[in-house]
Amino acid sequence: MKKKHNYVKKSPWVIDYDVGGCNGCNLEVLATLTPRYDVERFGVVYKSSPKNADVLIVQGCLNKKAVKRLKKIYSQMAEKKVVMAVGSCAITGGPFAEAYNFAGPVDKHIPVSVYVPGCPPRPEAIIDGLLKALRMVKEE
Amino acid sequence: MHDFVMPVGPQSPALKEPMLLKLKLEGEEVRSVDMRLGYTHKGVEGLLEGKNVDQAMYVASRICGICSISHERAFIRTVEDMMKKEVNERVKLIRTILFELERISSHLLWAGFMMHEIGFDTLFQYLWREREGVLDLFESICGNRVHKNICKIGSLRYDIAPVQEREVLDCLDSMQEKLKDYEDEIKKNKVIKERLKGVGKISKKTAIEYGLIGPNARASGIDNDVRRIDPYDSYADINFKTIVIKKGDAMERTLLRMREVHESMGIIRQCVEMLPSEKIPKFSLTNIKEGEAIGRVEAPRGELFYFLKVEDGLIRRAKVRTPTFAFIKILEKILKGVKIGDVPVIVASLDPCFSCMERVLVAKEDREEWMTEAEFRRKYSC
Repeated sequence: MKKKHNYVKKSPWVIDYDVGGCNGCNLEVLATLTPRYDVERFGVVYKSSPKNADVLIVQGCLNKKAVKRLKKIYSQMAEKKVVMAVGSCAITGGPFAEAYNFAGPVDKHIPVSVYVPGCPPRPEAIIDGLLKALRMVKEE
Repeated sequence: MHDFVMPVGPQSPALKEPMLLKLKLEGEEVRSVDMRLGYTHKGVEGLLEGKNVDQAMYVASRICGICSISHERAFIRTVEDMMKKEVNERVKLIRTILFELERISSHLLWAGFMMHEIGFDTLFQYLWREREGVLDLFESICGNRVHKNICKIGSLRYDIAPVQEREVLDCLDSMQEKLKDYEDEIKKNKVIKERLKGVGKISKKTAIEYGLIGPNARASGIDNDVRRIDPYDSYADINFKTIVIKKGDAMERTLLRMREVHESMGIIRQCVEMLPSEKIPKFSLTNIKEGEAIGRVEAPRGELFYFLKVEDGLIRRAKVRTPTFAFIKILEKILKGVKIGDVPVIVASLDPCFSCMERVLVAKEDREEWMTEAEFRRKYSC
C-alpha cells in the first residue's frame, strides 16, 4: 500500500477555469471536493490564484474571448505545471465543435498533459486524472 | 478622493463561472458597475439551426448542465405543441418527477454554493452530500448524472421500474429530516444572519422594472410561476403551493429556495402515488415538415422560453430566452452603494447561470436590428 501511493508526496494545488462550458464539468469538478469523493485526502486543494497552483483544470468548449485569459492564467503558473483537459468539449469541442465562437481544442493553445473524456466525466474519472497529473508533477 | 476600478473575474475566487465585473470604487463602496460578458458564449442558437428536431434536442439539453431537463423539456414542449401531439398520463407524470428532482438538485447546489460564498463551508459540504442522493436517482433512471437526455417527442427513453419508484421515495424520506436541520441552521446561525439579512434588497417595484422572474421574483412578492400560469405535464392535477415572500433580501431568497425544495418533494410524492400501470409509448423519429411554435417551462431559475421554426424538416430559426438572461441587468442597480465584501454574496444570491445566459442581443436605442448569424459575424468580426 505504501509503495503504491508513494507518488502522493507533494500535495498539488489545483486551479480550475471554465472556458465556456455548460456547467456540467464544472459541477463534477466541484463534486470531487464533497464528502463522497473527497479529493482532499490526496492533498488536493482548489486554489483561485494561478501563482499557487500546480495543476490547471480546463473545462468547457474554448471560446474566442476566453483564449487570451486561458493563456494568461497558464503563463502565470509557476514551473512544473500540468494542464488537465476535462470533458469532451475541452478535448475536441464536443457538441459545440461546429459553433462559430469555438476557438479550437485546448491543446491547440496550451500544452495539455492529461485528458479526461466524458460529457461530463464522472468525479471518479476526474480524481483518476488528477492522480495521473500528480505523478507527472513528481516525475518532472 | 479618486475613483478606483477593480476588476472581479473572469477567473476569480468569488464567481465560479466566468464573468467580468468592473467595479468603480470609492473607498469600500461601489459607485458603479460595468458588466462584461461573453466568456461562455458558444452560439447555441446557430448550432440548433439546420439540424432536424431529433438531433437538435441533444444540443438543446447541453445548453446548461444544471437545468438540462428544463431545456430538454422546453424544447419538447415546443415541438409537441407544433405537432399537436397528446402525451399519455404516465409519461407526463414521469417527466414531472424528473423535472422536480432537477429543481431539488439545482436548489441544493445553489444553497451550498451560497454558504460557500459567505465562508460557511461545513454547510456547503452537507448540502452537496444530500445532492449526491438525487444524482444517484438520475443515474439510476436516466443513465447519466448531469446531462439526462431522457425525453423523446411524445415519450421517454426509459420507463421507471417499481424498484426505482421506491428508490425515489426512500431518497426523499432520508433527505427531508436533514434538510429541515440545515434550514433551521440557516435561520438561527448568527454568522449567516449577519451576512445575509438586509443584503441585496430588491423591492417589488424594482423587481417589476427589471423583469425579475422565478424564485428571485417570488422572494420580492411577485407571484410568478409558469407551473401555475401555463400548466404543462401534470402540474394542473397536482396540489402545490407557490411560495411568495415579500422582503426580497438575500436571506429570504435563500430560505425561499429551501422551502421550494420541500414543495418539490411533495409534488414528487404525489406523482409517484398517481403513476398508472399503463406502458409508455414507443418512440420513433419525428416527422415534421413545417411549423412554428413557442413553449415555456418553469426552470429552477425561472421562466425558460423557446421559439422554434421548422421548414422542410429542419430547424430554420431557434430562439432561447433563459431565466438569467432576463434579469442579469439588475446587478447594475443593486450593486450600487454596497460594500465590496457583499458583492459576491449579492451576485450569488440571484443564482445566475452564465452558461445559459450568454446570448447575442443587439440593442440600439433608436431602432431594432435583426441580423442573421453570418451578417452578425461580418459586422462585429467575430
